[in-house]
Amino acid sequence: MEKKFKRDLRSLDKVFDFIDNFTAKQRIDHSVKDAVYLAVDELFTNMIRYHPKNKNDISLTLEREKNKLIIRLIDREVEPFDITELEDPDLKGSLQERRPGGLGIYLTKNVVDAVQYEYRNRTSIITLTKNLGRKNV
Amino acid sequence: MFDIRMNDRGDVVLSGRFDAAQVDKAKTVFDRLAATAVVDFKDLIYISSAGLGVLMATQKRLTDSGHKLKLKNVSGHIRDVFNIARFDLIFDIE
Repeated sequence: MEKKFKRDLRSLDKVFDFIDNFTAKQRIDHSVKDAVYLAVDELFTNMIRYHPKNKNDISLTLEREKNKLIIRLIDREVEPFDITELEDPDLKGSLQERRPGGLGIYLTKNVVDAVQYEYRNRTSIITLTKNLGRKNV
Repeated sequence: MFDIRMNDRGDVVLSGRFDAAQVDKAKTVFDRLAATAVVDFKDLIYISSAGLGVLMATQKRLTDSGHKLKLKNVSGHIRDVFNIARFDLIFDIE
């Protein structure tokens, strides 16, 4: 299933509806759905934040391959931003030392099983893999 | 759908999905807090890093004046996110 969404935070409700539809059809467990919500939300929000004036929609694809869920976000006419090379935030510092930056990507990496980044023809393609547990077989 | 309100005890009660689109709405309540307050997550089903950022900024501001946020009824997805973000180190979580 693929759908394009306007580059606007107000699109998030539609993004969640799209995920709801897909996970319901595929009978995917609630805990996996929560992980997909979070990963897609964080990446979608990041794409808006880093290219707010870009007029292109953001594409989201959800596919099931046996016992894996493949999530792909495609952002066109953008500068490269390889999230796999980002350093993890320091989460052990005191409250005053903590910074919110980088937390979203860190959360994403923690709730999926693999993150892949490709950049070609001025297009960023982020592919996430989420393994499905036995409840989803 | 996200909602934020103060209950009769002065607790901040969150419900629905707290994502980046809800930050401004949430800040209208969190920015008014001037003393220690309880935040009730019982009816919140989802939070992203944008929501965590609002909580963290409020905690920093309150701590500077000797106050803090206390988080209660944290479960499921919200607890998982708090665990990954190591919120246990910077918040009282009941």
